[in-house]
Amino acid sequence: MADLVKRQTDIWQSGRAKNITFIVTKDCQLACKYCYLVGKNETERMTWDVAKKAIDYILSNEYLFKEESVVWDFIGGEPFLEIDLIDKICDYLKIQMFEKRHHWFDSYRFSFSTNGINYNSEKVQSFIKKNHTHLSIGITIDGTKKKHDLNRIWKGEGPERGSYENVVKNIPLWLEQFPNSGTKVTISSADIPYISESVLHLFDLGIHEVNINCVFENVWKEGDDKLFEDQLMSLADSIIDKGLYEDYFCSFFIESLGKPMDRKLRNENWCGAGMMLSIDSAGNFYPCTRFAQYSLREKKAWIIGNVNDGIDQNKLRPFLTLNRCTQSKEECIDCEVAEGCAWCQGENYDAAETNTIYQRATAICKMHKARVRANNYYWNKLYRKLELEGLREEFESNKKVSNPVIC
Amino acid sequence: MIEYLIIQLDDTSTSYCHYENPKRKDNLIGLDTLKSGILFAMKENLMIQFVYPDYELPSEYKEAIESIDHSKIISSLCEDESLRDEADVIVYHDWTGLSFGKFEAGKSYVLRTSKADLFERYLFVKDVLSKVTRLNIVITDIESFKEEDFERYKQILETLSGCLEKLYADGQSPQLNILTDRMMLSTMNNCGAGETNITLAPNGKFYVCPAFYLYDESNSIGSLADGLDIKNKQLYKLDHAPICSHCDAYQCKRCVWVNQKTTLEVNTPSHEQCVVAHLERNASRELLQNIRKHGSFLPEQEEIKQIDYLDPFDKREMW
Repeated sequence: MADLVKRQTDIWQSGRAKNITFIVTKDCQLACKYCYLVGKNETERMTWDVAKKAIDYILSNEYLFKEESVVWDFIGGEPFLEIDLIDKICDYLKIQMFEKRHHWFDSYRFSFSTNGINYNSEKVQSFIKKNHTHLSIGITIDGTKKKHDLNRIWKGEGPERGSYENVVKNIPLWLEQFPNSGTKVTISSADIPYISESVLHLFDLGIHEVNINCVFENVWKEGDDKLFEDQLMSLADSIIDKGLYEDYFCSFFIESLGKPMDRKLRNENWCGAGMMLSIDSAGNFYPCTRFAQYSLREKKAWIIGNVNDGIDQNKLRPFLTLNRCTQSKEECIDCEVAEGCAWCQGENYDAAETNTIYQRATAICKMHKARVRANNYYWNKLYRKLELEGLREEFESNKKVSNPVIC
Repeated sequence: MIEYLIIQLDDTSTSYCHYENPKRKDNLIGLDTLKSGILFAMKENLMIQFVYPDYELPSEYKEAIESIDHSKIISSLCEDESLRDEADVIVYHDWTGLSFGKFEAGKSYVLRTSKADLFERYLFVKDVLSKVTRLNIVITDIESFKEEDFERYKQILETLSGCLEKLYADGQSPQLNILTDRMMLSTMNNCGAGETNITLAPNGKFYVCPAFYLYDESNSIGSLADGLDIKNKQLYKLDHAPICSHCDAYQCKRCVWVNQKTTLEVNTPSHEQCVVAHLERNASRELLQNIRKHGSFLPEQEEIKQIDYLDPFDKREMW
């Protein structure tokens, strides 16, 4: 059994699973200040008819979806606002995968990123009980109340109202049901002073894996990189001095980070856009949710088909042949700390000077370099400590291989 | 490096390529704009190709055009009789016109045809080949090819290849772009829009090619007034085209406008484009081998290799 769980975990994390996202609603209870979904609204809700057509198309064209496994992903806005539809979709998926003897039957997961507000509702809990063995649920909590409430505020008129208390009350239940879950934290300029205390707070709440990244958009101010570096070094000190590295993971600190990358041997694309599939309420297909109109500030949606006509494979070709060097400037290709410098294909497209996915946005450059400096500090300090304690060898042999979520 | 300036003299100037000209209303380039365009080309050392409308130009335009070395592209339907002698490239938009055409040595002829017309009337090409120095066949709806059409196109290429072999064996050497270009090439020879050539439109603005102007005037890449400004110009180059840079169908036009239309990226060809180009490449390989059976032919050219794919995209794991 343990082997089976491990094998499945490997599949989900190694990219051998197809990720298919239903944008079930573009509405959310919150209006987070850093949210890239600029076109959220209360009207675009997926109908059962659209969802069914999408499922029928996908499962009837098995030859187009050869991945070993599938992650059926539900996103919003806030996906759990549409729990009735989601429940119906999941029931239909299970029946259809079984009836069609589809190779994804028994090799699937349902995945959710939720703001956690109605996690404890009767309908959501009933859905969780029904599908528990095939579920991955991530609740987004940004850290301390101060940090969380800085950005994650309720939608609507009147004075700003943070959502921390509404979320944190559901964390114990979530961790009881999904003990190995991680959370995802997003950093914008205003959040930098609270990074260290926030990550430590999440560890205190019992969350062992904190996936955290800076937004890709061009929001960074003069001096942010130095402030960021200081925060990460403070966090590094706390993690090492308190021995938290044994049981907790923060994706800011990854050993392989910040090395040069060979032009030929390391020319792969970072982002998985195009290998995923996203469907919205209009029944349009996208290479990733970030290419739907509600995610784009400047550009038109990048539609690759729809539930009636299917996927136009020609429109996927640019994504499936994209590599690091053809979209990067020379200074990025030859950058001495290139390893781990991420990009989002959707943001690249939105920020590009022409309608292309082949122009890499570099707004994150100075933040990446600051992260690399702090990361170097972290590993040098940690390994020195382990050396002195005679524990380095043991630590290295037990090191967990992480697969941090970056978007 | 930009080497050519194409000047679209009127909104209705003939199409000589894959795009259909949707404009029906005359809109002649201003005389001052024309003169400024010519001056720009002189200062930038660019060879000009003028693309003509079907009506006769005023004399002052003719005078301006003759002030610089250039080439002329006209439609076979052009009303200006004198241009027929002077034109370097004559474009046929239908097969009937082609079958009655009078051809002159040294000129290039372009036949723009739909897939359906080509499949029905390709035998007419046999007659034309013995009369021309060069014929370019441009299929205007490559994106409509289906799997069964590829097989049909392969058969048509075989038939035309047999005809060419016979002509070459008899000492004639007409060029048919879809069969003879690849035999003579050892590197990519694509259209070059945005890389080696740009277009000046009647509005005084520059475009990647006439199609980018005709379908969306906001797509300009600069103007005579403000200079050239090609954003993401690297994307028009071969080394920034992941599929094409792994391809040896050197005769493929790699039309950036069709690329953008079908895949949304100028540097990425469609599956249909790649397969059509590879069917031509493979037919050229056979033709080269067959002509060589009659004697020495293009001795400096290497054999075209046998390959087991029609779309380089399918081999991307090997890159």
